[in-house]
Amino acid sequence: MTGTLTIFRREMGQYFANPVSYFIAAAFLLVTGFFFIDDLTRSVTINAVNPAAVPEFLSFGMIFFAPVITMRMLAEEAREGTMELLLTAPVNDLAIVLGKFLSAWAYYSILLLITIAYQIIYIQNDSIQPDYGITVSAYIGIWLYGGACLAVGLAFSALTENQIVAGFLSMIFLLAMWLGDNIGNIAANIELANVIRQLTLQGHFSTSFAAGILRGEDVVYYVGIIGIALFIAIQLVESRRWR
Amino acid sequence: MIEVKNLTKQYGTFTAIDHISFEAKPGEILGILGPNGAGKTTTMRILTGYMPPTSGQATIAGYDVVQDSFKARQHVGYMPERVPLYPDMTVQEYVAFWARLRGVSNVKKQVDAALERVQLKERRHSLVRNLSKGLKQRLGLAQALVHNPPVIILDEPTIGIDPKQVIEVRQSVRDLAHDHTVLFSTHILSEAEQVCDRVLIINQGRIVAQGKPEELRQQLHPMDDIYIHVSGAGKEKTERILKSIIGVDHIEARGAGYILYAKPGVDLRPHTLKTITQEGLNLLEMRPVAVTLEDIFLQIVEKEGEK
Ligand SMILES: Nc1ncnc2c1ncn2[C@@H]1O[C@H](COP(=O)(O)OP(=O)(O)OP(=O)(O)O)[C@@H](O)[C@H]1O
Ligand SMILES: [Mg+2]
Repeated sequence: MTGTLTIFRREMGQYFANPVSYFIAAAFLLVTGFFFIDDLTRSVTINAVNPAAVPEFLSFGMIFFAPVITMRMLAEEAREGTMELLLTAPVNDLAIVLGKFLSAWAYYSILLLITIAYQIIYIQNDSIQPDYGITVSAYIGIWLYGGACLAVGLAFSALTENQIVAGFLSMIFLLAMWLGDNIGNIAANIELANVIRQLTLQGHFSTSFAAGILRGEDVVYYVGIIGIALFIAIQLVESRRWR
Repeated sequence: MIEVKNLTKQYGTFTAIDHISFEAKPGEILGILGPNGAGKTTTMRILTGYMPPTSGQATIAGYDVVQDSFKARQHVGYMPERVPLYPDMTVQEYVAFWARLRGVSNVKKQVDAALERVQLKERRHSLVRNLSKGLKQRLGLAQALVHNPPVIILDEPTIGIDPKQVIEVRQSVRDLAHDHTVLFSTHILSEAEQVCDRVLIINQGRIVAQGKPEELRQQLHPMDDIYIHVSGAGKEKTERILKSIIGVDHIEARGAGYILYAKPGVDLRPHTLKTITQEGLNLLEMRPVAVTLEDIFLQIVEKEGEK
């Protein structure tokens, strides 16, 4: 427990010390801000505001943001040799991976919280009244969705010492999991299509959380992805002992 | 403090260390000496719990490094060959991080003590990335001793730093010995001689000699070759006289004089003096050829290579 907390604290410190994390934050807020304003402008003429505009964009955006946030986390430790010291400290491999994951998720949560501030524009303006229930459910959904993407990114970071390779591989993997939803949509066989949708990241978000529906199975899906990805990451870290 | 029995490590089919056994007592500085690829780092990685051995046993402060890995790891401080650093942290944050991770209760006090010990206190707020190589090495040392472990393992701590820093690091290591057991690897023999109480020489994964540096020297190099400088005769005559000394195997010109190589087990000195006086030469200088651990080491390693 102390191990997880110590690692978590160091990583959080890194986000504040490292300029790269400010660039990531700036890009994140810029792009989400753009999608929010775009939706707002269209609401004037074309259609009503989408209360889930930002989360819906992020369901695609996290495919790129998650790898960028997590790619260095374990790869860099391996390359710099600090992994060797971590593995000789009296902490287990779970504590190391968990501390890293929680810090990435916390960093993402902070960014997500900032985007909630965009909603103030709605509150200030009486003529626009989105369904706040959908906003809340979509945010909960994208928070879990993002957590799953980050866990996948972390597992790839454990795979290689090269953070660029780690980032690239996790983007490809996440993109495949995301595109799977489209394949599901065009598959002729409805049952097959359903199974595919059940496995994809989008399938548990676009028609449930983003539509204001909270379902246990969707929560279980994302938590399950997090669990599996972290388990794999731990195995990969442990395998360094046998190389 | 450290006990190692029949430790073996294979990487695939390659045997990196082969049935190594040794022991280090409390307060002792034990040196592991060996050429590149001898298995120094492998041995240390097993002792620090980084990786398990293929077979054999090792204990740190009484805790088995495999069975009781957690306990063993709490009792050891480790400085790997390439000092692992977090460049974006300050010196103080870096040491405090390792202190917390190893469960130190009074972090601030221990960090202060460690920085004091390696003389990095004035640089405590510097970023790690801005330290010179020598200071980074000392930071690595601070990290290894911050939790005050009974056993400290240092993998070639003086590699790649300037001579002044080398002396300081060696001094720091010597100071540690008062209250720690230190395992120290190096491939520089004179360093082992200066720093260590006892030395293990390993080559190709096996211990080929061990003992106090002085003992090793006597045990492995009993021959008494001497250097001699004489005058009073021409070159040819001098050489002829020197060769005629009883017990001389062969001679070799060296500087202004000659080295007389003794036949095994012969003390050259009495005969040499007698002969020279008889022949009417003047003795300007005569001294034993200093045998360094370097020579011993090369000798052992070559012998091993021939097998
Ligand atoms: N992970 C590994 N996989 C395969 N072989 C390895 C591995 N690590 C070390 N070896 C081999 O094991 C042998 C011993 O290596 P080790 O690093 O322990 O030597 P060393 O004495 O520390 O050498 P150096 O002075 O170069 O640091 C070497 O031949 C090395 O090539
Ligand atoms: Mg080595």
